[in-house]
Amino acid sequence: MDENDPRFKPLKEQDGFALIPDRWKVDYFMSMGELSRFSLELKENGRLMGTKCPECGSIYCWPRSWCHDCYVDCEWVEMEPRGRITLFARVEISLNDIQTEVPYMQGGVQLEGARYPIVQFIRGEFEKMYPGMPVRVEFRPPEERTGRIRDFYFVPDV
Amino acid sequence: MRRVGIVGIGNTPFKSRHIDKTFPRLAYESVKAALEDAGASKDDVESVVYSIYNDFFEHCMMPDHHVHYLLGFARRPGVRITTGGATGGYALRAAYAEVASGLHDVVMVVGVEKVGDLANVMEMVKSITYAADPFFEAALGASPAGSYGAAIRFHMDNYGTTQEDMALVVVKNKGNAKNNPDAQSPMDLTVEDVLASPMIIYPLKVLDHCLNSEGAATVILVSEEATSRFAREPVWITGVGASTESGRQAERDDPGRSLFPAVRASADAAYAMAGVTDPASAIQVAEVYDSFSGVEILLYEEFGFCGWGEGTRFLKEGGPDMGGRLPVNPSGGLIGGEHAIGATGVYQAAEIVRQIRGEAGARQVPGVKAGLAQSMGGARGAYSVTMVLEG
Ligand SMILES: [Zn+2]
Repeated sequence: MDENDPRFKPLKEQDGFALIPDRWKVDYFMSMGELSRFSLELKENGRLMGTKCPECGSIYCWPRSWCHDCYVDCEWVEMEPRGRITLFARVEISLNDIQTEVPYMQGGVQLEGARYPIVQFIRGEFEKMYPGMPVRVEFRPPEERTGRIRDFYFVPDV
Repeated sequence: MRRVGIVGIGNTPFKSRHIDKTFPRLAYESVKAALEDAGASKDDVESVVYSIYNDFFEHCMMPDHHVHYLLGFARRPGVRITTGGATGGYALRAAYAEVASGLHDVVMVVGVEKVGDLANVMEMVKSITYAADPFFEAALGASPAGSYGAAIRFHMDNYGTTQEDMALVVVKNKGNAKNNPDAQSPMDLTVEDVLASPMIIYPLKVLDHCLNSEGAATVILVSEEATSRFAREPVWITGVGASTESGRQAERDDPGRSLFPAVRASADAAYAMAGVTDPASAIQVAEVYDSFSGVEILLYEEFGFCGWGEGTRFLKEGGPDMGGRLPVNPSGGLIGGEHAIGATGVYQAAEIVRQIRGEAGARQVPGVKAGLAQSMGGARGAYSVTMVLEG
């Protein structure tokens, strides 16, 4: 039994009302399925992969395995690791258990050739950022990569 | 389709914590109030739509069927809607469809939420981020606030909107809440007070954020044929528009000048259905989704209360103030009144019903013939429901 598991701790009393300590904790192995190549290339080779619709030519990154307009399967393509900032925000207080270092910046980046922007971490000086600013991909070193999107971030490319 | 009217409304007071009440109890109190308002008994209710947003808040995956049973509706139809902040709007739409189609004559919408059982605010935000795209955005740990902050930042860069301007929304909505006995956060504030509150996500400070509330709201929808069975004159739902967008933070097809294209689409649909061509003159009061102060400014434009890029001017000229050209959020909105998420869209409709009935007390806007209620949810307003109500 986990000593810190609240489900076995006694109730808290507040103003004569009972509060029962409780917890939901559910672990996963999240299946990347037909999108697995994205995660594998990212972790193993430091490559950013997207997909291309053979019919309308749309390039998707984040990748999707079919084009939602044409309803045909897409093909894998490697993305150019460059883009431009669309929208951005600076987060001053961390309210989650994933990103603990604050402040940090997140924003939309329009990758070269891609149909839609992606949202990703951006490093750099907030005061010097502007919509349309060129940025490039920086990958974490191989030993730090886990196959998640946090394996890379954007830095100013000016 | 048949005409659909609202004949009963009820809600609990909204608080950060109702430590003395469970979520089924909150639901019950609002249901009881709505039935009394309509002069109805629970046996009149043929079907119920539950507006409950987040399983993590209630700490239960299918909270609706437990509430349904405790409300005494066993073996009657009950269904739950959950679409983020637009849960209330979409729940009303589902109930509207049940009545308009002829499936039922009397349908109740019960919105309830209990947020304070999460151990702390970090657990609460964490539970909200679980709505992110599980493949490509969840690992950012991004809260929806970031996506709204980015949209507001765009407005600042392109139209010169400032943090001081946004603070005016907070001053207005916290001030309006003083006229609403059920509001959670009535406050006398100055622009300086808002600017001095701690920054969370630039440019949004603590006081720019909506509230976290516990509470419930219920409305009763009936067909035109059934209205004579109830004590109150119906307020008609004349326009219902709904739109669901990409749930990813930045992917939007061709938004034009709209920063919340789902909102614009839902407003266009509601206006077309209600025959509204000039919203600024057709509508006399609005309860809209001020999840963050700057969002309300953007919404003035999405709803056509003013032109694109003119939201800040509309605000500074006093347009959305009480006594202004088109008062927005007399209840205090989500910043001053309440944001018990599942209850919010339902409560907004109840507030517009009060305004049209002329029963809004100190927050009454004179001469309301038509009002607008709108709720939205998901990253950067991925869901939106807009309703037009008329006397
Ligand atoms: Zn295509």
